[in-house]
Amino acid sequence: MDRGGRHGGLVAVTGIGVVSPFGHGFGALSSGLLEGRSCLKPLTIFDAQLDSPPTVAEIKELPDVNERGGFYLSRTDRLAVLAAMEAAEASGSSRDFLESGAIVATTVAGLSDIDPSITSNPAQYYREGGLARAASYPASHPAEAVGAWLGLRGPCWGVSVACASGAIAIALAASMIVAGDAPMMLAGGSDALATYTLSGFSSLQALDAGPCRPFDKKRKGLNLGEGAAVFVLESVEHARARNANILAILRGWGMSNDAFHQTAPDEQGRGLASCMTSAMAMAGVKPDEIGYVNSHGTGTELNDVAEVQAYETAFGARKAPIPVSSTKSYIGHCLGAAGALEAAIAIAGMRSSTLFPTLRLTDPIDSSAIDWLTGQPRRQPLPVAMTVSAGFGGSNAGLIFELPGNERSGGIDRV
Amino acid sequence: MNQGQPCITGVGSVSPFGPLKGLLPRKDIQPRAIAAWPTDGLRRAFLVEPFRPAEVVPGLKTRRLDRLSVWCLVAASLAIEDARLNLAVEDRSRVAVVLGTGFGCIELAEGFFQSMAANGYAHADPISFPESLANSPASHVARVLGIRGPNITLTHKHVSGEQAIIQASALLRSGQADVAIVLAGDVLTRTMYEWFEAASLLSQACFREVPAPAPFSADRDGFVPGEGATAVVMESAERAGKRGAKVYAGFQSGFVTSDSKAGVSLARRALGSSSLDDIGLIVASANGSRVLDSVEQTVIREAFGAGPPVIAPKASLGECDSNGLLRLIAGLSWSERSTHSLAILLGGAPTGVCAALSFELG
Repeated sequence: MDRGGRHGGLVAVTGIGVVSPFGHGFGALSSGLLEGRSCLKPLTIFDAQLDSPPTVAEIKELPDVNERGGFYLSRTDRLAVLAAMEAAEASGSSRDFLESGAIVATTVAGLSDIDPSITSNPAQYYREGGLARAASYPASHPAEAVGAWLGLRGPCWGVSVACASGAIAIALAASMIVAGDAPMMLAGGSDALATYTLSGFSSLQALDAGPCRPFDKKRKGLNLGEGAAVFVLESVEHARARNANILAILRGWGMSNDAFHQTAPDEQGRGLASCMTSAMAMAGVKPDEIGYVNSHGTGTELNDVAEVQAYETAFGARKAPIPVSSTKSYIGHCLGAAGALEAAIAIAGMRSSTLFPTLRLTDPIDSSAIDWLTGQPRRQPLPVAMTVSAGFGGSNAGLIFELPGNERSGGIDRV
Repeated sequence: MNQGQPCITGVGSVSPFGPLKGLLPRKDIQPRAIAAWPTDGLRRAFLVEPFRPAEVVPGLKTRRLDRLSVWCLVAASLAIEDARLNLAVEDRSRVAVVLGTGFGCIELAEGFFQSMAANGYAHADPISFPESLANSPASHVARVLGIRGPNITLTHKHVSGEQAIIQASALLRSGQADVAIVLAGDVLTRTMYEWFEAASLLSQACFREVPAPAPFSADRDGFVPGEGATAVVMESAERAGKRGAKVYAGFQSGFVTSDSKAGVSLARRALGSSSLDDIGLIVASANGSRVLDSVEQTVIREAFGAGPPVIAPKASLGECDSNGLLRLIAGLSWSERSTHSLAILLGGAPTGVCAALSFELG
């Protein structure tokens, strides 16, 4: 195998930026979780025109972003740019930074700012000021916005793999770092609330009218949220050479597809289990070494059962049940941003030695393989954590993070 | 070719040439009149003629799918057949699907918007919503063919096809997959066409029954939109050799930049350690627009000199964000091929060259 150019090392996370329903900043996300606050409330920021206002996790006050001539920023773009700016600042200066690229996941992109009237008479829609707004439709636009606002010269592109998008964007950026294709990369996800997705999930009867209850036997569906999380990734060697603060190390990842159904997961969770097993193999960690799984946990009937099956397959041989929670019970399902936001949450838990519980989980799905985190945050050291994402179309992704100082040799170059 | 080099061993496409296995025929194609939506006078584009998918791929069910999903299913099936790849004996958890698309399933996204407007936001069409997601085509390919490896849909605007090749090759080189089905495609819709028109990007050949000025020509006046989907099977040279597969080309290297002024250095970087004399073909991204063609002409001259033959396939395929992969196939189809030479694929944005990939011709 040609490994020319590969540094064969580990990937460091040296900056994290977040805009979430808890507010602007990675710190706001961490403190909101520690306080156990649920952001799920009836929608107020626009009229979704459903039978009643859906329960969502919305961002009421979105900071302004300085204008750039000729570049329309949709709400999804603004979330991405704000998160990326925070991540870049947190990562500190590097002479290589401007050579970086950005991979930003999204499912909504400019649909947050476009309405159905575009289809009845597009030419009129454009004449009346919609031309720039419509240009924000492609899933590459949030990445292009990040690149434009930060002045990046590397490749800036989008990933759109439904609700696994955010985790896959991070995995692909890490692959580029490992291969030596880029010195640094920004990667994450961004999605805003939109009438399009609210109408879509409503039509699928997938929305819980009240706050969602992931993994509970009485769960009734999901709640949509919005937000963005962007990471600065670079090799550990690169980070150490510039004395950057390493927040976490991405040890490995796995990607798979159920090859089963467009909207329903494989009932046995085989694809999801496969991506977790692949991630552990790449990371060189055993199931017993994973201290926590931030789950996909949407609160829908089919997802949660399949996911439990997947944990029983991937972690069934552990000496003790695997601690699992769904933080969608705090900030809803942020779609293309979910995988990145949940990676930020896993790192927040690792850095604060906290396992965040699932809110409102009172009667969990039966499983002897899972240690359901409920009630108060559990304080304990968390050196290694995994995040799991899944999406329509059957795509799955798992990421494994480790606290710096605990890393062993090897890791990603074992793929 | 070295043993680990990712190679193209199968080709399928759905393009203005129709659904095809293998290389494209050499024939002149002109834009066709648009009839799929009401237009204010004649509007033309390089369109895919309607066809019955099950007549091309027996047994294929495509009801209620976006046309991009349908075309990707057909193109992928043809490419796998062309590669003589028997998926039944492959470890399909080691097969990846990578799709590059500029606009994804925009046709059904428009359809879902229309159902929101017609039925009310609370009662929109539940079938078209999930099918409108950008990753639906790659998901259907995985579902129908039982492919369980990494499944990635990416958008890199004008170079989505080029980026799909780069990412698929990265999965192969890093050992995350043994085989990759690489897809690139876009469907032309009314909102897109009228956007191009409102932005004054279109050639007069879109509005009149006249031939479109050739890319790079002095009288060029804009582009003609196109549509289609292409699939290639990629695997390592070692693997291809072991199973006796024919090799169309081996991927050498590929680079993309956001710096529209970096085209020359990007193109030279793609050349790697090869010499200018090794270049047997340059596949340009020129589309008939004033700026891109001019910038690309300069990049080619400064990076590669005047020697290598240049082909501009958008003259017959039209402009489409994801057509880098189809242009590569067109270049391989329509040029005199010599062994042991390089093909350079350039990808362009409106303001310059932003992607350069090199391929070793087998």
